[in-house]
Amino acid sequence: MENIRIQWHTCLMAEAIQLIVYTSFEGKRDTMHMEFPFGEDYISNLPQSIIETILTKLPLRDAVRTSILSSKWRYKWATLTQLEFDDKCVYGTHDRTLAESNLVKFVSRFLFLHDGPIHRFALSTAYLQSSPDVDQWLLFLSRKDVKELILELGEGEWFRAPSCLFSFRKLVRLDLVRCELDPPSSFKGFPFLKHLNLQQVLIAPDVVESLISSCPLLESLTLSYFDSLELNIRAPNLKYLILEGEFKDICLENTPMLVAISVAMYMTDDIAEHFGQISSCNFDKFLGGAPALQRLIGHIYFTKYMSIGNTLGKTQMTYQHLKFIELYQVSFEDMKEIMVVLRLILNAPNLQELQISGSSNSSSAMEAPDFDFWEKECPCDCTLEQLKTVKMTDMSGVPHEMGFIEFLLGCSPALETMSITPSVYVTDGRLNLLIELLRFRRASAEAEIIFVQDQV
Amino acid sequence: MSEPDVIKPEMMRSYIWLQTADGSIQQVEQEVAIFCPLICHEIHAGMGSSKTYPISLPARVNPVTLSLILDYCRFHQVPGRSNKERKSFDEKFIRMDTNRLCELTSAADSLQLKPLVDLTSRALARMIEGKTPEEIRETFHIPDDLTEEEKLEPLKNITDDPRIRLLNRLYARKRKELKEKEKLKNVEVEAEHVDDRSVDELLSFINGENGDSKEVKTAKNKKKNRRRKDQQKNAPVCTISNSSSSLNNSTKASNGISLVGHDDRVKDHCLPNINELLKLQDSEDDRFGLEDEFDDCDIGDGIDPEIKEQIDREVEDFARRLNSDWPERVQELLSLGQERRPSLYTVNGNGCSARRPSSTGLEKHEK
Repeated sequence: MENIRIQWHTCLMAEAIQLIVYTSFEGKRDTMHMEFPFGEDYISNLPQSIIETILTKLPLRDAVRTSILSSKWRYKWATLTQLEFDDKCVYGTHDRTLAESNLVKFVSRFLFLHDGPIHRFALSTAYLQSSPDVDQWLLFLSRKDVKELILELGEGEWFRAPSCLFSFRKLVRLDLVRCELDPPSSFKGFPFLKHLNLQQVLIAPDVVESLISSCPLLESLTLSYFDSLELNIRAPNLKYLILEGEFKDICLENTPMLVAISVAMYMTDDIAEHFGQISSCNFDKFLGGAPALQRLIGHIYFTKYMSIGNTLGKTQMTYQHLKFIELYQVSFEDMKEIMVVLRLILNAPNLQELQISGSSNSSSAMEAPDFDFWEKECPCDCTLEQLKTVKMTDMSGVPHEMGFIEFLLGCSPALETMSITPSVYVTDGRLNLLIELLRFRRASAEAEIIFVQDQV
Repeated sequence: MSEPDVIKPEMMRSYIWLQTADGSIQQVEQEVAIFCPLICHEIHAGMGSSKTYPISLPARVNPVTLSLILDYCRFHQVPGRSNKERKSFDEKFIRMDTNRLCELTSAADSLQLKPLVDLTSRALARMIEGKTPEEIRETFHIPDDLTEEEKLEPLKNITDDPRIRLLNRLYARKRKELKEKEKLKNVEVEAEHVDDRSVDELLSFINGENGDSKEVKTAKNKKKNRRRKDQQKNAPVCTISNSSSSLNNSTKASNGISLVGHDDRVKDHCLPNINELLKLQDSEDDRFGLEDEFDDCDIGDGIDPEIKEQIDREVEDFARRLNSDWPERVQELLSLGQERRPSLYTVNGNGCSARRPSSTGLEKHEK
């Protein structure tokens, strides 16, 4: 009776690893058993915690393979708590359905033979798409107090998250790629969730908002590739925010702990139209709720977005902790965008590093309409006490760019490096750029101006 | 053994004393030693400041690995090093035999020095990744002690289903066989739970008789004889049996030793026999062939005095034995029972051959 059981169990396990060890066994039957004197085994008697540390550093396939090493090693892998499944777990094959079914078999059998708690389950595959097997695995995992769940399934039909996903009570990290989320009405949020990463997720906007606000411990939020999202973010513990997609409106309502923001906004026609109709100030809406901000990274169209709306009459918030600003695709032809940049810089007394990449079209902006701004209205008496590093890239040499650089050079007594990289489209104007640069006054005697040529 | 490289009087370093499991004591600079969390705790607890009170290191740390660990700590505790420097030191540091590396991992783990555990684990993982089992076994000297079938070389036919199905069938068949065997045994066991006679009834029955411990013998002939002898004194029991007619279960009683007892424990032992004999009354079981005798049950009252004495003796004897290991006793009783059967075995109409020892006596032993 016992024999049958052992054989059965071994059979299951062997099925699981059959695919894995197949080629290694082929033609290499070890008929010579290694005879080592007792006690010479270096590794098998190490404490299980060390063995698990070692196995965790192996790809899952190799970790399972260790079950064949000796009788002691048979189930050392079965108590691993960090499981990372990907397409490397099964042998690559051109036949897609075969690869898919192999992966399903591997994961199912692995879970079946696994013993003990599971803290992390990550599945990242291009073969497997929406499948009832995935639903079953999620049901199994929902009973195991999983803390980290990462699901990235293949292109094609997006995976529809089953309701058991919302019963992962102990979840601390959730990463979902390409799926549909539709929480049941009884869903009250993940009480311990700290990291939420949704990429290409189909979800109703108000559901996103309520999901965010119902996770009280949320510290890091990443939303990528969302369409036309209007978002009010209420997350009292949120520290890191990464947004990428087409956003109509972002309002940070309640984010007092926010430390780092990275935003990339894609523009479509109707969003641009929408922007034309906004009256409230985007800058205030967006950054008004983030007084503790330390790092700000704004990708394409960010400054444009921020420039919309009127700020007149409102007191401007100072960002005492803002140390690092990185802005991409700032159009120095748009006065409003320049004002946004200036506002940011002037309200960040502790700013240390500034990186700006321009996006001007050099041919059209040779005559700048408001160039006297720099002489007349620009507050020259301010000093950027802590600014040490400035990096300007994609510079076309347009007047406002030069004005800005001049302004920076004149106001930064602590400046150490100013690096300027001309745009690749500028071929003739480089010399002029350089000549102008030479002329500028520098407030800092230590400042190095580095003109980066032909950056590879 | 690590002597401090140079003793600079002006630097006034303080030293810590460490003792490894083999008894050797060495002196180490404090800032190096406190890089290990375990040593740090011990220092805060006041240990290690002098040679007489060295910090005892865990058994897994031997002098060789200790010196390696201290080299590691000495390098990394200096704050000014760049990441690149540290990385290249680490790369060179882990170049050693596999055996030494495993010992080092174990020692670092016992000292809770996590960065070193990570470093060595990564090195060991690199030795395992991508290698065939034979290569791994050779690297670590792992004995190859799995049987051929356990290794289960992949079969030529990759279709696994037939094999699984076959095993399933075999498994199911075995399970069925086992279940049937269980059923045979369970019959008795089930019967235990069904006894709902009132305690009073049993008491009266018990006190009304000097019951003998009895054994059920499969040899029906002998039983028949015994029963006939003791029929007389089983009269009172018959009344009880009538009221407990509920105890009818199908019977396939195998061997069992039982006592009629007042105490629960004894009861459990007894009852199967009672019940089974009860059942026997109603059943068609020819093994015991009791029906005849039961029908003729003489509902008399008297107990033969000399038999009574004999019974008493038996009871006390049995009570003594009851306290020792039951299964062994079973064997013994079975073998003993061969001779003693005539007196032990009392069967009445309902099979409640309660040779009931003086209840107090048994109870004393039971408690």
